[in-house]
Amino acid sequence: MTPWVRRQQALADYTLAAMARRRVKNIGLLLIYALVIFVIASATLFSTALRHEAEIVLAEAPELIVQNLVMGRHDMISAEIIEELEAIRGVGGVTGRLWGYFYDRVNGANYTLMVPLDPKMVPPAGQALFGEALPRTRGLGWDTAPLFLSRYPGDLFRLDPAGRLSHESALVSADLILLGEEDFRAFFDLPPAVYTDIAVSIRNSREIDTIVAKAGKLLPNARLVTRDEISRTYQKLFYWREGIMVAMAGASVLAFAIFAAEKASGLSAEETREIGILKAIGWDTRDVIAMKLWEGGLISLGAFLFGTGLAYLHVFAFDAALFASVLKGWSVIYPDFRLTPMIDGVQLTALFFLTVLPYTAATIVPIWRAATADPDQVMR
Amino acid sequence: MISLHAVRKLYNEGRPSEVTALGGIDLEIARDALTVFRGPSGSGKTTLLSVISCMARPSSGRVFVDGRNVSGLPESFLTQERRRTFGFVFQRFNLIRGLTVLENVLLPAAPLGRAPRDDAERATARLEALGLGPKAHVLVEQLSGGEAQRTAIARALINDPPVLIADEPTANLDTELAMRFLDIVAGLRAEGRTVVMTSHDPRIWQAALVDRVVALRDGRLDEEQP
Amino acid sequence: MILQVPILALLLGSALASAVALWAACFAIRVLRGWDITNGSGQQLALERATQLVSTLFGLVMLIEIAALFLFVFNADRMATLFVGAMCAVGTFNANAWGFPALTLKIAVFFAAALWLRLDRLDRAGHDYPLTRVKYAAILGIAPLLLANAAAELAYFLNLKTDVITSCCSKLYTPANAGLAAEMTGLAPGRALWLLAICGLAVALAGGAVLLRGRGARLLALAGIAFFLAALTAIVSVISLYVYDHPNHHCPFCLLKRDYGYFGYALYIPLFAGTALAAGVGMMRALPRSDSLAAITPLAIRRHTRRALAAFALFGAAVLWAIASSQLILFG
Repeated sequence: MTPWVRRQQALADYTLAAMARRRVKNIGLLLIYALVIFVIASATLFSTALRHEAEIVLAEAPELIVQNLVMGRHDMISAEIIEELEAIRGVGGVTGRLWGYFYDRVNGANYTLMVPLDPKMVPPAGQALFGEALPRTRGLGWDTAPLFLSRYPGDLFRLDPAGRLSHESALVSADLILLGEEDFRAFFDLPPAVYTDIAVSIRNSREIDTIVAKAGKLLPNARLVTRDEISRTYQKLFYWREGIMVAMAGASVLAFAIFAAEKASGLSAEETREIGILKAIGWDTRDVIAMKLWEGGLISLGAFLFGTGLAYLHVFAFDAALFASVLKGWSVIYPDFRLTPMIDGVQLTALFFLTVLPYTAATIVPIWRAATADPDQVMR
Repeated sequence: MISLHAVRKLYNEGRPSEVTALGGIDLEIARDALTVFRGPSGSGKTTLLSVISCMARPSSGRVFVDGRNVSGLPESFLTQERRRTFGFVFQRFNLIRGLTVLENVLLPAAPLGRAPRDDAERATARLEALGLGPKAHVLVEQLSGGEAQRTAIARALINDPPVLIADEPTANLDTELAMRFLDIVAGLRAEGRTVVMTSHDPRIWQAALVDRVVALRDGRLDEEQP
Repeated sequence: MILQVPILALLLGSALASAVALWAACFAIRVLRGWDITNGSGQQLALERATQLVSTLFGLVMLIEIAALFLFVFNADRMATLFVGAMCAVGTFNANAWGFPALTLKIAVFFAAALWLRLDRLDRAGHDYPLTRVKYAAILGIAPLLLANAAAELAYFLNLKTDVITSCCSKLYTPANAGLAAEMTGLAPGRALWLLAICGLAVALAGGAVLLRGRGARLLALAGIAFFLAALTAIVSVISLYVYDHPNHHCPFCLLKRDYGYFGYALYIPLFAGTALAAGVGMMRALPRSDSLAAITPLAIRRHTRRALAAFALFGAAVLWAIASSQLILFG
């Protein structure tokens, strides 16, 4: 071990002993600090996890979606277009999609009804697959309880459960009802040979731009949405929400920094005397600063680990109960789901910057002021 | 060992409240001797002690320690010089509460980055020699006055300095403990250490052990007194 | 502007750095005017004590800036998903005109920070603080750099819009274009490797001379800087090809992606560290001589030469590993 390491070790040892003696003050400081970090870390971890969820969901989405526009609004698209699109070179597969929304007057929720693209997922006639939130909000007591939907007073449309959708990616499937094509057309009273929109899969991602251009020429009235665009929108949305949360928490960081500066400058008589003694028995200003930086570092690190650890539990074990509504809510039905635990190095580094930096900056001048005490003052 | 040439020390320099604590002192302190500064309070003994021991820089004049001019050194190098050469025992002992005897004794060694085990061994040996062996892991606020002072002495010696500086070491001790302190000092001199202290305690300057008494008055050497 | 946590962190860091830089520059003027180590007056003592604070604060800022460089690059890579056409950090930096200037300034600040920290350490080792004036004159030089860096970063982030169509690395690093990046790309792989090897040899020889004969420190600095430039060229021209196993993918930023095992960090960290150390060795030799450092400087030079050589060796090892483990065969 080099003398440098041993010096740091000795200073850290002293710091720990000194902090243990002022337990109440230091634990109080640590808890407030940890609380600030907890708020910011929760927002960051949660948003990172949501972005990850969105990525998983979108990974299976088609590369391109073609929608028909009438008067600038989304309208049903004719099945004939499928063949036209199939003729474009480079297009892998073209499928008409059927989906729509239904407002449930029973509980005021909006459901998404959909015919699954994967033939294996299509339930038999008269049956449907329910999203995870649906039986919960409708109070369907047992697994085989049928769901009755009422489109207008006096109407009842019965759907028997064919199963439930898994919890994975519940974020977008919570309010989902999957049913067969015939049931779908019957429920919404749709004519045959029209679709909500058309999904186009493209094998080579480098060709997306060319195919979009060709399809645009072919269908001048259509709206063409690529998967990358949707992904970007999601990412932006989550980044933005996270940023708003953190910017708001910035105020609390600022308040904490002022609090910490005051704590550090208002050293108790006892601490001032101790620094005087240390300087008198041969500690240098640098040693005292290093010792105090250890103190700040230990408190920062402790609060950082504690706050981030709590935030991890909060987000991944307790579903971010405290501010889920701010960060994810876009529907009456909140999905009940477990996020996949994941930690992002960049986010953690940034978090460390945002929380430890203000604290260090706020305390360093008071530390220096205390450390430059005259060594002979204890003799006067 | 230590020599002072025309050393002056002013406090609050250049302000209306300026005070001349030392007004031009020439002094030679012999190696391996026990030197005592005496004088009434306010005579400048403590300031002189802090200038000699590199705690404070003189406002003018020069201080030599072992032939090296230390008066122009910046603070941190003065500190290095100080911890290499001097150990300190203060009037009010200045132990840090909440730490044990051993932890207090080890404090001056912390910034030096030596092997902690060697330091601990040396500290324990010194505490044993001073009769504090059983108290090594006791918190310092539980010590008696004599024990506290011996802890302070052990702390002053942890870095093995050639010079021990003591400011009014017997002011808070009864006669028996004061004599005990003088015994310890005798032992340190036998180890070959130089001792410099201030005192207005006649028990000290009349002791046979003392090699030289320097009298001070109003920041100057008082030549009339012996 | 994109409200995003790493961006907020970076902006906070550079705001703090700017504030410290401004204050330190004002203090530097006082030091340059009134510093007199032989004077024992209260004023000089106060100045000496204040230098402790400035050294601590400025040192902290320099450490923050070094960390910020990595955060800046890593985050740019992460944000690439937000821009149309961006595949890696290049697209993010290209999203507006301030991206690459901000990156260049950050790299400049990194080297300035490393050199200044070295200067500070050396100054504080001499008992009469022989380099204090040099050190504070350097602060006067670094402060504008820090401010420019903060300004460029702010301009970059404020003007960052996600709807912008930016260009991917394959459009920048292609021999077909004009410009420096294209020149680097267009250099024949064999020639780039030879250039790198020659610079490496120069570094080794200069380093050997410093360690064995105690001379050639300035040469080592020059060789180190030449090696740095040759290494960047070689990374673009040939090393990246080996890492990607692809004969036309020249991007020096995609290396930092997870897809390639973050291999770029194994290249860039030793390269930047070695260059900063080598430049520091040259700087220590070029500083004004003083008695108080006569015994200290040569030791520091040797120590840093060893570290610089070790860092360059690590870089070399990473390059060899990339070539050896690649499926791509460029020669023979």
